[in-house]
Amino acid sequence: MRVMSETLDPRELALRIRLRAVRMVAPQGFGYLGQALSSAEQVAAVFGAARPGVDRIVCSPGHYIIGPFAAAAELGLVSEGDVSGYGQNGSVFEAIGTERSPVVDYTCGSLGQGLSAALGFALADRFHGSDARIFAMVSDGELEEGQVWEAALFAAHHRLDRLVVLLDANNSQVDGPVDSITTLEPIADKWSAFGWRVFDIDGHDVAGVSGALRAAGAERERPSVLVCRTSTRHGLDCLPPDADGHFIKLPPSLAAAAVSELTGKLEALRA
Amino acid sequence: VREPPYPIELKPYGRALVELARRRADVLCLSGDLTRQTEVDLFQAEFGERFIHGGMAEANMMGMAGALARCGFVPFVHTFGVFATRRPYDQIANAIAYPNLPVRIIGFMPGVSTPGGPSHQATDDVALMRALPNMTVVDVADAIETRQVPALVADVPGPVYVRLKRGEIPVIFDSDHVLRLDRASVVVAGTDVALFASGMMLAAALAASRALGACGVSVSVINVPVIKPLDTATVLAAASAASVRLVVTAENHSIIGGLGSAVAETMAEAGVGCPLRRVGLRDTFAEGALDAFYLFERYGLSTAAIVETIWTALGCSGVPPSVPVVAAGGGEYSPV
Repeated sequence: MRVMSETLDPRELALRIRLRAVRMVAPQGFGYLGQALSSAEQVAAVFGAARPGVDRIVCSPGHYIIGPFAAAAELGLVSEGDVSGYGQNGSVFEAIGTERSPVVDYTCGSLGQGLSAALGFALADRFHGSDARIFAMVSDGELEEGQVWEAALFAAHHRLDRLVVLLDANNSQVDGPVDSITTLEPIADKWSAFGWRVFDIDGHDVAGVSGALRAAGAERERPSVLVCRTSTRHGLDCLPPDADGHFIKLPPSLAAAAVSELTGKLEALRA
Repeated sequence: VREPPYPIELKPYGRALVELARRRADVLCLSGDLTRQTEVDLFQAEFGERFIHGGMAEANMMGMAGALARCGFVPFVHTFGVFATRRPYDQIANAIAYPNLPVRIIGFMPGVSTPGGPSHQATDDVALMRALPNMTVVDVADAIETRQVPALVADVPGPVYVRLKRGEIPVIFDSDHVLRLDRASVVVAGTDVALFASGMMLAAALAASRALGACGVSVSVINVPVIKPLDTATVLAAASAASVRLVVTAENHSIIGGLGSAVAETMAEAGVGCPLRRVGLRDTFAEGALDAFYLFERYGLSTAAIVETIWTALGCSGVPPSVPVVAAGGGEYSPV
């Protein structure tokens, strides 16, 4: 991956990811805005921690690619013009990540596959004698896929300590709240039992996420997972209470209100 | 080609993979808890640092193999063909075939060559892999071809699926036979019937050709080791020869989606109006076996089944010629 060497305050980057995501989704009037809202702090922390040209970023759920796209636009890694084609016919910035998706090293719209790719990267780095880190964004809904647990077993057995999973525990999937469909809890205990180092944290505390990434980087025995407790509505107060977090509807009036709200917050942060 | 009974070899693939690995540091070996069965205990013994136990987790194994290939390695992934294709189909599609990565998926125990029941029979693997864009699909016939496979597929730019017989591998071809990924080859020249065979069915096809030849029916036998991309030029040349009255395919696989389908599609698109018969599993799971011989006979994959198919399709009178069973001693192989 390419990451700009100059850094942006992660709190500001998280805000700008939200604002950019609103602008990317607004032309269609609907889209994966909830994923950007729940993962904005995780994306901001990863883009602050990943070393350009060395470390790798895996965005396992392709629906989350809006976050890395938005971050890349804010960091000048891709042009605003390019990312404005997000989700449009003919654009490489497809709404659900594809092989052509820029910015990340791996993404896939068929869920539950990214952790295995992250393991492959970690093994390749080990063969090459590299200490590169792999940052793997995974969603809680993906934990319903058996492949994730196959990968979790393998990573712990092989002590892939350069690997850190950012698990977006937003309790949202297509059919409703995850916990109304499958009981995943205790999520942290499950990963711990599988041999991982676990950080169970507030996923909207960007300093906390960044700190956990640093601690995971110092780990030399186990892979790490950050169980990031989040909400698909976080940081955008104008959303109606019944907004569908998986696929948020954003009619023009709501989009305008969202831009106004987030612009105001950005100005307040900079003041 | 040799005459039956054929001598057998053990582990021609496993030995050839080790030879490749001696020359190529980028070759990795992954195994899904079937290391000895897929002959890669040889690789593990010599190159333990490049051997990865995937365990019974095919989905994860395919996903890892794809990422390793992205990083410049050439992963050879081993398990039984049925587990290599059905279980991780979505992973192969998304993590290997779509990004067009050089992963080599080696599936042992094709078709009904196992008495392990329908759960262990790779009877639709060719169809599944053939449907994936970028995938090359290989089904070799004997040890001479098998031992050429690792080096031959090593530099294919995209993914390759290879189905290999497990255990005792017959030596059908002469030792100078050259396997090519872009060629089907006419093994026996004939005039009345064009008989296309792949993999384990080559030996039976040759036996059927001999039996029918003795009764005045001239059957050419074309070995098709690569189902995709299909050598359509050779297929069409054989199928559209002026004297040919019948085209037959023989595969240790369902008649849906494999060699028979590939030949049918090629003939139809070229406007070759010759009748076609497909010998293979007739849209069924294969049950009730102590041994593979029983299944080959019961499900119409025997030499006699090929002979009878041709005899009937040509409208020949009388009973079809009986097929002499060539007794195979220890260390020998004859088709059913």
